[in-house]
Amino acid sequence: MNTGQQTTRRLAAGAGRSVCRSCKDTLSRKYASAAAAAVQTDDSSQHIPPVSQTQDSFRINTGVVLSRPPQITRDLHPLESAFFLYQRRLNERTALPFTRYFYYKKRTTADLEWKRKIKERLTPARDIGRYKGYGDEAWNDELLVGAKESDIHHQVEKLIEDAEDTGSPDGDVAPASNASGTKKEADKIERPMPRITEADLKNDVKSLSRQLQRTLYLLVKDKEGRWIFPQDTFGKETLHNAAGRILVDSCGVNMNTWVVGNAPIGHYQRDYLDALKTASGFNEVGAKTFFMKARIMAGQANLKDNKLGLTDFKWLVKDEIKNEVDRHYWHSVKNMLAER
Amino acid sequence: MALRELPFRTASTLLRDARPAICAAPPASCRYASTEAVKQVEDNSSFSIPPPSEQLAKTFDPIARSRLRRRGGKQLPPSRYQFRPPKYYRGPLHPHQPPPVSDPASRLFVPGPFSLPRLEQTYQSTIASDLLTLTYQHYPPGYRAPKVTQRLREWQGDHPYFKNRPLRPPRGKGDVLRLLTPPRTFRNIPKITKVTLHSMVPLAQSNSAYLHIAGMALQAISNVRITPHKARHSVVQWEVREGRFVSATSTMEREDAQHFLSKLIDVVLPRIKEWKGVPGSTGDGSGNMSFGMTPDQVALFPEIEVNYDAYPPKMIPGCYITIHTDATNDKDARLLLQAIGLPFYGKLKG
Repeated sequence: MNTGQQTTRRLAAGAGRSVCRSCKDTLSRKYASAAAAAVQTDDSSQHIPPVSQTQDSFRINTGVVLSRPPQITRDLHPLESAFFLYQRRLNERTALPFTRYFYYKKRTTADLEWKRKIKERLTPARDIGRYKGYGDEAWNDELLVGAKESDIHHQVEKLIEDAEDTGSPDGDVAPASNASGTKKEADKIERPMPRITEADLKNDVKSLSRQLQRTLYLLVKDKEGRWIFPQDTFGKETLHNAAGRILVDSCGVNMNTWVVGNAPIGHYQRDYLDALKTASGFNEVGAKTFFMKARIMAGQANLKDNKLGLTDFKWLVKDEIKNEVDRHYWHSVKNMLAER
Repeated sequence: MALRELPFRTASTLLRDARPAICAAPPASCRYASTEAVKQVEDNSSFSIPPPSEQLAKTFDPIARSRLRRRGGKQLPPSRYQFRPPKYYRGPLHPHQPPPVSDPASRLFVPGPFSLPRLEQTYQSTIASDLLTLTYQHYPPGYRAPKVTQRLREWQGDHPYFKNRPLRPPRGKGDVLRLLTPPRTFRNIPKITKVTLHSMVPLAQSNSAYLHIAGMALQAISNVRITPHKARHSVVQWEVREGRFVSATSTMEREDAQHFLSKLIDVVLPRIKEWKGVPGSTGDGSGNMSFGMTPDQVALFPEIEVNYDAYPPKMIPGCYITIHTDATNDKDARLLLQAIGLPFYGKLKG
């Protein structure tokens, strides 16, 4: 350890209670490989604010922001999907032609099917509508008013239709008659699951299968009837361990969770109207809550026999949290919640 | 549907009030000298004009209109009014300049993007913020970072040749200048910059079909044209002779790289029997990770599987996959790759 870091450590040690232990350790640790070559820092370069010996203290809490990340991709804005379709049609115009005989051998059923389908849709791509990228009329790549080609549901329907339409044995039956009830069950292609679930329709805020496109956060109702993130005081343990313990104490063991990292992602300070006197002779003037980030992998919250006196819970997205929590709390927590 | 709105940044740009908040609500009696004049010039906005009637929109047929216009051969030939970019660039002073590459009329235009990849969305919504939390480094208030000394050497002496010369590298052979890791902020979270596929086929020296088929396979799974490479030296043990084409690479970026990685992680790797993971010893010390796949494993890619018979037997190549990230060390890069679903095994390097 060189002189510069010793100076830092001495400064940190002399600063008294204003620097916590982990910060003091951090100061004496090497920051990066570059720090090994650190020049000698003069004593004035580290400005540690002086400590004022006061009898005021805060109650320290650990909060847990338990979240379920988005499960599916988001809906595209109509402008985005129109742009993507436009680019795909441009690609049809500029790309080299499809290498047909690399994929379909001549005089096979697959080749016949290919010929029939290309006559219908004019292009190898199956999700850009009826459009031909070559020839005199390739410039006509814009959609008309009310066209549905850029809609993702329409594209999915077209892809499924194309996959199901394998043609009949004699090969000259129109595809419209194929789509009738005579189709075998084996030919049915599985439809994608709906993006809006039953919980969405019922607005079941206790369900984890609601709002699949967005991050859901666990909010609980405490003894005083306020909606907050689960929190508790912590003693001789680290924030990370405390977060794990609080999850078990509040929502039971029926959850598979992961506490992300050792550092808090935000904090909330609540000042009491009149100070409390603690056993150790300090004036407790408020409470500070440090929020740890956690992810839920599986399971569900269960408040039965919880040790924190919680009465209710909800899984909410960011916009809904704003309406539930009080204003001061919202201003402290809003920046650590993901937009999506 | 809040999600159907424009991306946050775009929306905020549009909605932001450029004026300071104090002036946001002007008094109603406020008058400007130009108010009357503007009213006289444009008495109605173009937005107030209703769109064409529904009947007109339904019957509109651009092809028929164009045919009608061209009927009788009265129209000028396209070469007289269509812009064609010059084939060769003749310098900045030439009157005929090519359009920018982003213009669809340009010869160099490459269309895209065609989609918003799922991996990209997951990265933005979940992985990036988790990585920031995991790699957070706390600095106490009042901390100032130690100054970094110059790692390169000055040119000493008063020779005029030394003036403004670039600095000299460190002395000695073994001392490599490692990348510096800046403090982690929300601006420098590691992300994937590109993915490179590399396949070496020494047999191609005697039979060039091997290289053609390796190129076809790489192009099929990567969606990018390959670049063939010559051997730079003769190596007897590998039966490589200098100057012969022996390998092919393809480099994917942006959308192609994202789609390739999600295909690899979700479809191909789970189907490999007894795959242990990416060896923990990989990494070049500056955030690039690479691992190999055997010919059997390459054949599991859906693009190859769909017409497996089109490739001659035993000619599908193995390949190396290199994932380039903008992390500055192996530890951060490994964290990113683990977050997107690549497991590592064995002793971890770095």
